[in-house]
Amino acid sequence: MRRALLAALCAAALAVPAALAATRAQDRTPLTVYAAASLTDVLPKIDPAERYSFGGSNALATQIVQGAPADIFAAANTSIPGQLYRQGIVEKPVVFTRNALVLIVPRSNPAQVRSVYDLRRPGVKLDVAAAGVPVGDYTRLVLHKLGLDDVLANVVSNETDVREVLAKVALGEADAGFVYATDARTVRGKVATVAIPSSAQPTVRYAAAVVRATAHRAAARRFVARLLARAAQRRLRAAGFLPRH
Amino acid sequence: MRRALTAALVFAAAFVALAFLFVPVLAIFVHVTPGRLVAQLSNPLVGDAVVVSLETTVVAQVLILALGTPAAYLLASRRFRGRALLVTLVELPLVLPPAVAGIGLIAAFGRYGLLGSPLRAAGLTIGFTQAAVVLAVALVSSPLYVRQAIATFEAVDENMVAASRTLGAGPAKTFFRVVLPLARGGLAAGEALAFARGLGEFGATIMFAGSLQGVTQTLPLAIYAEFDQTNGFDVALAMSALLVLVSAALLVSLKVTPRWQSSRPTSRFLFARSLSS
Repeated sequence: MRRALLAALCAAALAVPAALAATRAQDRTPLTVYAAASLTDVLPKIDPAERYSFGGSNALATQIVQGAPADIFAAANTSIPGQLYRQGIVEKPVVFTRNALVLIVPRSNPAQVRSVYDLRRPGVKLDVAAAGVPVGDYTRLVLHKLGLDDVLANVVSNETDVREVLAKVALGEADAGFVYATDARTVRGKVATVAIPSSAQPTVRYAAAVVRATAHRAAARRFVARLLARAAQRRLRAAGFLPRH
Repeated sequence: MRRALTAALVFAAAFVALAFLFVPVLAIFVHVTPGRLVAQLSNPLVGDAVVVSLETTVVAQVLILALGTPAAYLLASRRFRGRALLVTLVELPLVLPPAVAGIGLIAAFGRYGLLGSPLRAAGLTIGFTQAAVVLAVALVSSPLYVRQAIATFEAVDENMVAASRTLGAGPAKTFFRVVLPLARGGLAAGEALAFARGLGEFGATIMFAGSLQGVTQTLPLAIYAEFDQTNGFDVALAMSALLVLVSAALLVSLKVTPRWQSSRPTSRFLFARSLSS
């Protein structure tokens, strides 16, 4: 009895991956896309057939420089892919969409933050991404433009990507955090958005590039081209991203 | 011939296994020149991380010793229904992924967690503070100590305890004058392991306490924060080297512990039949 059960378990353990492999083998090899964390929800909707690795654009860039098997790199700014382009690691990056920065607070708004200027109040637990992470750099830029550099004293954590900031505010652990407008929309019931004065709004541009070491150059170039096509642009707009120009 | 081939295969396998374990540790020290490695340690980020790591780990270990020792003694000396279940629960965090520990801590001690409102009523918020780091470290490292402490207390000769009691010492005096000295070596070994594990805590900390230099950013968190920053890899290497040395020192102290532990009997006869075996 026991032995039969064990045999059945072994058979199942072997059969499941085999079946998965079989379904996959029918399609072409999926491309591996390294993409900014803020693209987590939208890219699989644009192209569900590829494999994605989402994270902070700077961490993904480090991995690509160290030889990670990425075919495409899609970053939340133009400077990181631009740097890799100058190093000869990726092809010329193209801007495919834009975004805006917002301040979010938990629905219950425990620290009563109603404007960016409320962040100056001592004891407000502000969660941000670390410097070097695109959203972290945009955050510091906005605060600087508003003359709110001293708000950084209220930072309780420097996260490694925007989705960690989003999670900590959505859980109510942090009182406020800077994320992209598109991130805030994914947890609408849990967070409220506080607008940033438009004069301080940074230009958030996303750039994608084919990784030179790819074994699927043609398919990778088609993927990047597809991001600029109408269907993908419509998906991006639907998710709250801004037109690329 | 066959035998020689078998021996060769065994040696080859052993060589691969040992080399695999040794190479990543070695690589940390040879990736850049030793001078450059040492120079990185002057980065203020490193000093802050060392201080945060030491503060939080020491506080966590004091708590573990103060609360874990009585718990272990109780579990070792009493036999009751559900004891096996309790011991298993104590050991559970040992095999749990740290990310699960992080989620558990947020669900329990987070602002909107199970104990969130009573904590808030008491004016306590734990998330993003050093207290959060201490809780994360204590959760993942205490089972190592408590588990070892239970085994050690169980190995203490009951005859010695009985002798102490018949000679008129109360339970407390017996515990402090007889049981604790006899168990010293085993407890120290468990504590060294828990300390090393606590120093390396990463997942639960970054989820529950966040990462802020000088406040919650421990050495492992600082390594993670630095590795993808421009010129940060060398700093990450230096902090890694530091942790390797500290861990190695703890391990060595663990190995020499039995030599100075005083659980040796004064009379061999009394300990000839150990109840632990």
